[in-house]
Amino acid sequence: MSDLAIPTLQTEARRERSAIGSLRLVQTACILVIALVIVSPLFMLLIASLKDDRFQILADMGSFRAFWVSNPRLSNFAEVSNLSGELAFGRYLLNSLFILGCTVGAGLIVNSMAGFVLAWGTLRGRALVLSLVIALYVIPQESIIMPLVIMVSRAGMTDTFAVQIVPWVASPLYIFLFYQFFAQLPKELFEAAEMDGASVFRIYRSIFLPLSLPALATVSILMGIESWNQYLWPILVTQTDYARPIAVAIATFFGQDSIYWDRAMAASVLMMIPILALYLAFQRWFVSSFVGSAVKG
Amino acid sequence: MASVSIDQVRKQYGAVPVIHDVSMDIEDGEFVTLVGPSGCGKSTLLRMLAGLEDISGGEIRIGGRVVNDVAPKERDIAMVFQSYALYPHMTVAENMGFALKLKGQDRATIEKSVREAADILALGPLLDRLPKQLSGGQRQRVAMGRAIVRQPQVYLFDEPLSNLDAKLRVTMRAEIKDLHQRLKTTTVYVTHDQIEAMTMADRIVVMRGGNVEQIGKPLELYDRPANTFVATFIGSPAMNLFDGAINNGQFVTQGGVALPMPEGYQGATAAVYGVRPEHLSIVDEGAPARVIVVEPTGSETHVLAKLGSSDVTIVLRDRVDLQPGQPIKIAPDMRRIHLFTSQGIRTM
Repeated sequence: MSDLAIPTLQTEARRERSAIGSLRLVQTACILVIALVIVSPLFMLLIASLKDDRFQILADMGSFRAFWVSNPRLSNFAEVSNLSGELAFGRYLLNSLFILGCTVGAGLIVNSMAGFVLAWGTLRGRALVLSLVIALYVIPQESIIMPLVIMVSRAGMTDTFAVQIVPWVASPLYIFLFYQFFAQLPKELFEAAEMDGASVFRIYRSIFLPLSLPALATVSILMGIESWNQYLWPILVTQTDYARPIAVAIATFFGQDSIYWDRAMAASVLMMIPILALYLAFQRWFVSSFVGSAVKG
Repeated sequence: MASVSIDQVRKQYGAVPVIHDVSMDIEDGEFVTLVGPSGCGKSTLLRMLAGLEDISGGEIRIGGRVVNDVAPKERDIAMVFQSYALYPHMTVAENMGFALKLKGQDRATIEKSVREAADILALGPLLDRLPKQLSGGQRQRVAMGRAIVRQPQVYLFDEPLSNLDAKLRVTMRAEIKDLHQRLKTTTVYVTHDQIEAMTMADRIVVMRGGNVEQIGKPLELYDRPANTFVATFIGSPAMNLFDGAINNGQFVTQGGVALPMPEGYQGATAAVYGVRPEHLSIVDEGAPARVIVVEPTGSETHVLAKLGSSDVTIVLRDRVDLQPGQPIKIAPDMRRIHLFTSQGIRTM
């Protein structure tokens, strides 16, 4: 009986191992396909930006040559990195960086303060304000954009940096994110600081804000991406190069009769670098924040 | 240091009253423990003292000054929380010096004060650590250090030992008592553990349902509980209580067992007969009982028995050889009998 049972068990174990092996193979294949779909356009973009013949880029697009450059050159980057002139992408990049820095910097302060007050303030009607904030979140940005354009043009703010920063500093989503983070911190921390003699602002600044690194990182990344990718709003409110961001400037390539793919690709690569750097810088806290919120429910 | 006076203090959440006209005076330098079961209002009362809860009525005075509308930071008190509430991103030294920093004291003064408090609590080697790098007992000491550094008029402790294991709790209990003896600062200490209350306090305030049941020195409460609630809450194992009535100079329990009454007892209203487990002994002639469980603890033996229809616990200092089901006879120490009315109020 036992002689028969042992080979059967061994066969079953072998079958199980082989099933697990096949499953892993399928999983790996799926991951590779997904990675390829996501990474290949980026790789193609990078390769194209290193080619200096725009007709060759077009010709290579339909074949594997799109993923290979035999004679890489940085001349495209040099051409688009000017601070003035026709291809002042250096300037547009700096404009975008300035807008991003100001929006994220001010956004972190304003949204975290609002979240803190909603979580720990003693104002009457906090619950109502919170409900309104959440309700505002469901309103799409595009639906309020025309009244906003009218408002800022009446205020004489068009074609400025301020018009690209101020309207997007306070956001229901980020206020709610901060609110949720602050609300889960223990009440005793607030009370202990209160007993120690801290004012409400000091409690926010010295205790709660330093503890909210994961939330700060999350909001920085999300706000940064949102600001960096702003397209519709800057098109409506900028007319000159003065405050034009890079996303809008790149689009000008595609409005011309003849598209300079080499320069467009180089400008696109330039546009990606800062936001990738921002993500990589805050990625650790960003991920831990999402994991933390998943665990704590 | 300062005295604390609580006068007819009330607290309501909406229409729900949680503290009913509580009054007590705490002397300068006294260690008072508020004790009671969960939900009795002891923590709420402490938080009202701290200024973390508004009061709905009455008056609280600290050092003779009415503080009803004074902000917590203006009350010159320090509080140690149950969860310690240490600032996780600050080192031990920063945690302890935070209040002084807020007062605008210079770095040298803060360092000196923190060092002194750290020496008192043996925290010197831990000053550069973060709270997450400390054990429960160490965190507890840092929380105390944070309070000491401020040299407040009153210390408030809100169940500070309840997160520690049993052994550490005993050690920290002694440390807090020792600290109070050295600093002589007025202390109000909340706990649900009557052993903690008994061992640490100069006076105990027993609370139930938002009312003060009795205020007194630990042994006063133990020897002369004002009512059946205090009688059973203070002391472990709890006092044995038997419902019944006085009949022909004896107390007859509802189960029909006669218990001896003290000679010359005049009050006729006694309806509850109380005797502590350690004041019962096994004798040749006494009330008949039957052993249910024998629990040897090493230093003493707890015997759970049936007296008529009631359970009775007997604590014996001697080691005894008793078996479950064995009939025994028990008798109370006649000097240590407690009698209560049917409402549970002490008559003797």
